[in-house]
Amino acid sequence: MAISYRCPCCRKITSDPYDLARHYLGQTNKKHKDWLKTQGLSYAQLITWQVTEFGNKGYDALAEVLEKGAPKVED
Amino acid sequence: MSEYSIIGKPTTNVDGAAKVSGEAVYTFDMTLPNMLYGKLLRSPHPHARIISIDTSEAEKLPGVKAVITGKDTPGGRYGLWRRFPELCDQEVLATTKVRFIGDPVAAVAAVSEAIAENALDFINVEYELLPAVFEPLDAIKDDAPLVHDDCDNNINNTRHIEWGDVDEGFKNSDYIREDRFIYSSQHPAPTEVHNSLASYDKGNGRLTVWSSTQSPYYLQLGLADGLKMREGDIRVIKPHVGGGFGGKNSTMPDSVNAAVLSMKTGRPVKIVFNREEEFTCTEHRTAMHLAVKIGLKKDGTIMAKEFKLITDGGAYTALGATTLYLTGTYATFPYKIPSYRYDGVRTYTNKMWATSVRNFGGTEAIYASETQLDRAAHDLGIDPIEIRRKNAMTPGYEAPGQYNVGSCGLLPSIDKVEERIKEKWTDLSKDEGVGFTLFAYMCGGIFNWIDTPYAFSGAMVKVNIDGTVDLFTQGSDIGQGTNTVNVMICAEELGIGIEDIRLHPADTATTPVDLGAWASRETMMNGNAVKDAASNVKKKLIEVARMKLGENIVYDLEVKDKRIFLALRPERGFSYYDIVKDAIKLNDGEPILGVGHYTPHRKGMVSPAWSFGSMAIRVKVDRETGLVEVKDVIVAHDCGQPINPLGVRGQVEGSVHLGLGWGLCEDLPTDNGLILNPSFADYKIFRTRDMPQIELHEVPTYEPGGPFGAKESAEGAVAPTSPAIANAIYNVTGATFDSNVLKPEKVLKAIREKEGKEN
Amino acid sequence: MKKELKFVVNGNPYDIWVEPNTLLVQVLRDELGLRGTHRACDSGTCCACTVNLDGMAVKSCSILALQANGREILTIEGMANGAELHPIQQAFIDNWAFQCGFCTSGQIMASNALLKENPNPTREEVQLQMDGHLCRCTGYNMINEAIRDAAGRLQAQKSQEKTK
Repeated sequence: MAISYRCPCCRKITSDPYDLARHYLGQTNKKHKDWLKTQGLSYAQLITWQVTEFGNKGYDALAEVLEKGAPKVED
Repeated sequence: MSEYSIIGKPTTNVDGAAKVSGEAVYTFDMTLPNMLYGKLLRSPHPHARIISIDTSEAEKLPGVKAVITGKDTPGGRYGLWRRFPELCDQEVLATTKVRFIGDPVAAVAAVSEAIAENALDFINVEYELLPAVFEPLDAIKDDAPLVHDDCDNNINNTRHIEWGDVDEGFKNSDYIREDRFIYSSQHPAPTEVHNSLASYDKGNGRLTVWSSTQSPYYLQLGLADGLKMREGDIRVIKPHVGGGFGGKNSTMPDSVNAAVLSMKTGRPVKIVFNREEEFTCTEHRTAMHLAVKIGLKKDGTIMAKEFKLITDGGAYTALGATTLYLTGTYATFPYKIPSYRYDGVRTYTNKMWATSVRNFGGTEAIYASETQLDRAAHDLGIDPIEIRRKNAMTPGYEAPGQYNVGSCGLLPSIDKVEERIKEKWTDLSKDEGVGFTLFAYMCGGIFNWIDTPYAFSGAMVKVNIDGTVDLFTQGSDIGQGTNTVNVMICAEELGIGIEDIRLHPADTATTPVDLGAWASRETMMNGNAVKDAASNVKKKLIEVARMKLGENIVYDLEVKDKRIFLALRPERGFSYYDIVKDAIKLNDGEPILGVGHYTPHRKGMVSPAWSFGSMAIRVKVDRETGLVEVKDVIVAHDCGQPINPLGVRGQVEGSVHLGLGWGLCEDLPTDNGLILNPSFADYKIFRTRDMPQIELHEVPTYEPGGPFGAKESAEGAVAPTSPAIANAIYNVTGATFDSNVLKPEKVLKAIREKEGKEN
Repeated sequence: MKKELKFVVNGNPYDIWVEPNTLLVQVLRDELGLRGTHRACDSGTCCACTVNLDGMAVKSCSILALQANGREILTIEGMANGAELHPIQQAFIDNWAFQCGFCTSGQIMASNALLKENPNPTREEVQLQMDGHLCRCTGYNMINEAIRDAAGRLQAQKSQEKTK
């Protein structure tokens, strides 16, 4: 049985935590930003990593957290 | 395809006689009976809370008819990214705080401009100064002052674009380099300042606004949102416009405040910015920090590209979020890039907001890309033209999940410019160098962040009993020649002459929606709508002609040279004028009407088509002063089927002029949010003596989705100009630059540094 | 206190009263309704407001109206001969020498003065004389070609008149 992940703050569902991280960092509303704080992450820090350093530090960090913390949906 | 009668032939401007006689009416020239003059009181501080505003003294002045502040306005918020209410962050007048030097806090209407101006000094505003932030990376920090209290970390918008496996691509590269650039801002500086005239009808509560705008529809939406009115109760009319260059897409304080003052006084109100306001309080290009990493094989094949972007958005959103998207897209143009990753952020800062200027997104991205590519070519020992040829886009290329390229004349354009360089520039002195760059540009955007339910462009054609045609379309001619193009397209489609058509442009009450003149969309989108409308009329005329001929339905009829005839037997047909009379009689006396529209479908996510080209610039560098003289320019340009060669040349030359200025002398330095050079004396623009001759070659292709195969013309040619100059200087001196605007002192410093390194 | 201004504009005599600090461009546009002369900078840095004063190209935003007392002014509205465009105007149309058109009146009036003084200018001479004119649209080269084309048309016109 395949596992998918639902965004903790909206209805987005995807099988790839990285894809979910991409979706997540595109949301600028308060709800999404506040959930990050509960996970010990800062939206600003993730974005800053992503736009000032080559590589994928922001997405990778968020994908790891989402893989653990996002509600799972069984296909 | 038969030869065209009108398309592709040099055609003079349909507005020509009016423009050369001083009879073309601009909003700037308009007055109405009983009109008042409005002026705006602007914040002297970059960031402050408004404690109180006392307008009582100003109101008492003789000749002053109204003074308004934020509390006197309907309180609607507006912006151009209407799909995202949090990005509609503008108010008619600041209510709680001011966010940049120049943010309007009050407006006055008076019987003369002088009285209105004087009254501003009698308005007392008490501010509580707040700490301000001016740099994007400072603005993101957790302890940064918030420009908008509900926007954490001042992060206005982000964008991520990705395809392929970039990390794998870099692993497979033989050569990798990283470069960082700063692209500084420029101002569109149109000759006609922003100005609007609003007239409120006391009888029916409707508003009419004439404005120097690039998009009557966008202005209508902004007014409706800001004034909390129905769109249909607001009529926006665009008279002739003295230039826009990207800075007149938004709803600006002149229009909304003229409207509110007119509603309050019951009289027409006109607000005209002065030149200082134009420079300091109207939209300019977004300044950016760009970081680009590229991986190539040793034969020059691009394997991977990574692009990081931080943009300085200023105090509000407007179209700034679109710049973020487009810059990230243009960083891949015009090359085949197997894997790509882009991250961009737009931050709020306490400065006048920044958005689109001609070739928005492209100028910035292509500056970084094209300068970097020359350095890579140098390190790899590959000719700069060859490395471009190797990686150039070709017809039908697709960037996975992002955009499609239809027609593409890039390779022939490279060949042409290379051939001409070899033929023409055989006598370079030791202080002269050549820079070669490529360019590409979109034909309007497919995205719909404005959230319109309408087709992206519409048109209506009415044919009268005598065969004359009234063409109604909202396409905005701001100098680029859209009016002439539209008349040419309509004439060609109907097989009639330009002299048979009267154009009724850019009036939201009488023309179907067109999204306006931005991202070079008018020829593709508005042109297609006009062609569609005309073709619907053509169908009706052909039906009547076929009936009269009595021929089998399989035989095609054509329209050309004011006749409608059998394609196979052209001598069998009728005069257009006779068929028109018959068609009207057969339709119960109704004039013949055709309605058309265009919205791109199944064309990827960015644009329905792209123009392409190559450019070479020859410069002479004075190694003692750093002065760079542009000696000659060669351009090969693919705009599909050129509609009007005169107009195309005009667009190319105008684009090169802007690009040269943005590469050498146009700059908007600021100090704590204050723009330091708000006049033509200090904001240096290329004048006629600075301009070289421009050798232009068209590379005709045919874009199936474009009207008669046409694409946008020459907005792309702005972008390659400044990197071509930088590359030329690099080729002469070896000096490299991490910013644009190569003023003599910067060039000299770079040359000396390079010489120092060598010694 | 207003002072009397008597001058001729486009062949028509005017006798009006103006404040001493009124600029010529204000009188032309606001008093006489000649809106074809445009204002773009109000600091004498762009030449959009150029008119001819006794045949000289002058920036009307940089001249007080009273300085035109007793003088002859020609504006863009005075260039055509009834419904017949002046050769310079026609040359501008035929050479696509304008786009938005806002600076065009000034360009044409300056060209008019230039060609009277130098009936057959080179490209460089045109560049020198027209360098003050700011145009944001055209890149200037097509304007330069129009002016030299106009020079040819005016020469031809003159020859035709001589042979009559």
